[in-house]
Order: sequence, then C-alpha cells, then structure tokens
Amino acid sequence: MKTLIVIKKQEYEWLLDLFPGVHPLLLPICNKPFIEFFVDFSIFTGSNAIRIVSDGPLRDVERYCENGSRWGVEISYGSMLPADELHSVIDKNRRFCQEERVVIISGFLFIHYDKKSDYASLFASLPSGELFSCGRGSISLTGTPVVETNTTTGASPFSLTALDSVGKYYRLSMDILKNGLTRYVLPGYSSESDCYIGRNVVIPKSAEIKKPVIIGNNVQILSNSVIDKNSVIGSNVIIDRESVISGSIVMDNTYIGEHLEVKDKIAAGNLLIDPESGTTIVMEDPHLLTSMAQSKVAGTLLRRVVHALAATLLIILQFLPWFLLRPILGIQGNWKRDKGQYHTGLPGKAFTMTKTTIGNNGPLCAIAKALSLDRFPLLFRVLSGKLLLIGSQPVLINPATRVIPNSMSGYRPGVFSYAEAEDWPEIGIDTEIVEHYYAVHGNPLKDIAMTQKALFNRTH
Amino acid sequence: MIFHLDNSTSQPVGIVILKKRIDASNSSELQKAFAHWLQQTNRLVFDCTELDFIDSSGLGAIVSCLRKTLEHHGDLKLAGLGPKVAMVFELTKAKKLFSIFSDSSEAIQSFSVVDPK
Repeated sequence: MKTLIVIKKQEYEWLLDLFPGVHPLLLPICNKPFIEFFVDFSIFTGSNAIRIVSDGPLRDVERYCENGSRWGVEISYGSMLPADELHSVIDKNRRFCQEERVVIISGFLFIHYDKKSDYASLFASLPSGELFSCGRGSISLTGTPVVETNTTTGASPFSLTALDSVGKYYRLSMDILKNGLTRYVLPGYSSESDCYIGRNVVIPKSAEIKKPVIIGNNVQILSNSVIDKNSVIGSNVIIDRESVISGSIVMDNTYIGEHLEVKDKIAAGNLLIDPESGTTIVMEDPHLLTSMAQSKVAGTLLRRVVHALAATLLIILQFLPWFLLRPILGIQGNWKRDKGQYHTGLPGKAFTMTKTTIGNNGPLCAIAKALSLDRFPLLFRVLSGKLLLIGSQPVLINPATRVIPNSMSGYRPGVFSYAEAEDWPEIGIDTEIVEHYYAVHGNPLKDIAMTQKALFNRTH
Repeated sequence: MIFHLDNSTSQPVGIVILKKRIDASNSSELQKAFAHWLQQTNRLVFDCTELDFIDSSGLGAIVSCLRKTLEHHGDLKLAGLGPKVAMVFELTKAKKLFSIFSDSSEAIQSFSVVDPK
C-alpha cells in the first residue's frame, strides 16, 4: 500500500496570514504538526511509501519530514499546477501509483481516525474508488483489493473535517483534547489520562494545571498562573505570573504577559485570535503578548560581533590588574582553577573550560573579585566564539546537575550570566527562567547593559 | 478626544468620545484632560465606538480615570467597545472593573436607572 497526499495551496491559503512563518501543513493540532496526522494515518493503512504533492512550496515540509525514515516510511515530494485536477495529478505520478494500491488523500482535511483500529485490513479489502468525501476533500483508493471485500473487519469508521476556517481549527483541537486524546499518537509524556507534558517544562508549586491539557517543550509557567482545563500550550512558551489560560491554544514561541486571562482564544506570538468571531488583534505591547521567535542567523552574528568587541574592551581594561594580581594570588593559593566539560547549547556537543575561583583572604582577593578578574581568561573564549559575553550560566556535564535537554532553546553559555545581572540566585528554576527570558527577548545592546549590571552586581 | 455634557438625565453626564488609538503617546494627555472633565461631573461615559486600538498604557490610563471617578463618588462607564478593544479588556481582566454598554445612550440611561446615591 502507498499513500498519495494531494493538497492545493488555495485550500490552506487562509492560514498564511493568520499564522505567518508556519507552513500550514506543519500547523500544530494539539502540538502535533498537521502533516504527521496524515503520516500516521498512512502508516495505519499499511502504507510504506507516501508522496506529498502540492502546487505550493513544500520546502519547510520536506525539511521537517525529510525522507520519512523517522517513521519507517519512504516520503517523497512532487509538484503540480494549480489547475490540475486529481486525475491528472494521479496521471503525472503514475510511476508512484502503479504496482501497488494507493490511498489518495485529496484536500486540506483532517482525518478522524483511531490508532487502535485495523485500517490496514480495511483498506486492503475495500474496492477502488472514492471512499469518503466531505465536500472540500476526499479519500479514495486505486487498484484491486488484496483480499475479498469484507465489511466485518471491525475497524472503527473514520470521518473527515475540511479545515477551512480558524473556527474549525479551534473546534477540532478542542474536540481532540476533550474526546480524542486516546485516538491519536500525541507528543509529550503522559503519566495519566488527558494530560500530555513535554520536556523541560517548569511548573512552580503555586501554579495550577487542570486536565485535559497538552503542554509542549521548553515551557515556563510562572508563579500563581493557572492552566485551566481544555488548554493547549505549544513549545517555547512563557506564561507569566498570575495569568490564566482557559479553553485556549497558545501556539509555539509565545509570551503571555502577567495578570492576563486568555479565555477561548488562540494566542500566536503577538496575535490574539477569537476563533468564533474571527477577530484578530496584533498586539504592539510586549507586556501583553509577544512572539519569542528564535534568533535569526544575522541576529546571532551581530550579537557575536558586539559581544566580541565588548569582550576586547574588557580584556584591555582588565589586563593590567590581572597581570599584577594573578601571580600574587597564585602564590597565596587564592587563585583556584577547575577544569570541566560544559554543555555548548548544541545537541550532544561539549567544550572544555577552566573556571577560576578567587579566595576570600585579604584585600587583594577583594580587589580581584570586584574587578571580575576570575572571568578574565574566559573573555578570550568570547573572541573564539565558544562563549557569549553574557548568556546562560555554563552548565557542567554532570548527571548530578541540571540536565540540558537537546531541544532546550535559549541556553547559550556566557562569561557572565543574565541571572547575575538580575541578581537572581545562580541556581534553581528562577535562573533558568530569567536566562530563557533574556535569551529570547535580548538584543546586542541590551546585552551590553546587562553585562554592566552583572559587573556591578558582582562588585556589590 | 471630544468631551461634551449630556443633560438628558437628572444630573449631567460627561461623554468622552475616544478616537483611533489610546497608547503610550497619548495616554497621559487623556489623564490630564480627565482631571478637568471630572471637575464638571462625576458621571462619565467613554464612548469607544471610534476607538480602534488600545495598549497597556492606554488601558492603565482608563483604569486610572475609573479610580479617580470612584474617589469622587461617581462612575465611569464604557460604551461601544469594538471587538478588538473588547478583546484587550477581556485579556487584561479590565472588563470586570467597568460597566460596559453597547452604545453611549444606553450608558447614559443606566445612570438614571441605578443612581449611585
């Protein structure tokens, strides 16, 4: 069995303005990209090869799904013309469609299926032709049945929903959340029913989470916040203090400000959408809603250049005191060095770094500390690009310390840390929150100001 | 911002027509003007029919106006909130602080129905 997925751009165009930067086929439904539901369903029908054909760009989809090896299927991609009818698309892809039976999914539609059902037997026995239709799309089958038609296969019936409005998208997500969590394979850890939690989710004791709920990766829920029932929280999200999320979808990379109530809405970056009325507001106010897009390459490069320049200045300023005090402190035994392996921020990669600790004996130690001379050797790492001037506190690779998951965003080790700048305790959840916040909200100029604050806080 | 007094009820009601947007650039202007309007009456209605946008500083200014009105034993009511402005009031929970009416005439009438004194 094979599966041919045919989707025209005009069917999902309405989503492009609503969620810019997200390919509609990667739009998360309960934190699972839309295309993955197609892939899962195709696998359940017994397909070992999937071909995705569209007249729109598929680059992002291709980058995400690659060749399908992640799912153990072969995924290929094809293009079509906007005017192409389904039969001509099949004809143009006849090499793919020949030899085996092909399930053809046509349209931007959601297939309500049940992972526990035996669709492989059902599809092997069904006659060719259109099987299901919902006006805006259909599922059909080509080729002759492998086994004789048997209507008592026991498979649950499935239905289709055409996704053609934000209201339908919202209702579909809520329907899955309330009634269909067990029907689909959903991301996240689920130790109990109706509750899926991703990796690196920080939930303080004072926060309240009510089921059913789905929470993605790298989520920070701050104190006294409430994630009320029927909420979907995406990845890389911060819910600030005392905010309430209820019956809402918070998309990836979204910051929800303090003391807010997001009820029956979709929050996506700085967009707030009322799914029922279709009203959309673009927040210009970072205190309310804002996006937390990952730094672009150009932004990262600029940040590195600014950090390198500032580090050079600090090296020039610190060189003389370091040159004079370092030998004396070394002889006194007040200059202690500790070599270790640290996380780089890139999955599975590490770097070796020697951290210096200055003792507490005498005025020379006090002067050296006040001038942050213990960080002087690390400044050269900024020039080589291994460290930022200010970033996250470098984390030792040690099972006893906090673990940095591969997908954690925002961790970029620095000579100075944002937690030092904000005078937060240098260990614990609060540190991670403040570092994550500045990692996604920071900019090169703000970093310089934060470095000054870190230097000042270390002095006092 | 346009202010006028409506004398259709037993006590005059100040109607403030808010236009386009209330944000950091003009929220302090609203607060200054409001102090002057409050000297004329402690019953006020903000007509938001023509208001397209409000941010947190604008919202802060309106809440500050309400606080001042309550200190003067009066009330500040909102009327004609568009869907976008209403969403901001809902999001920030400010909706719970105000009496909100579909239009200004309804808001004016409410002063005669429920007299604060």
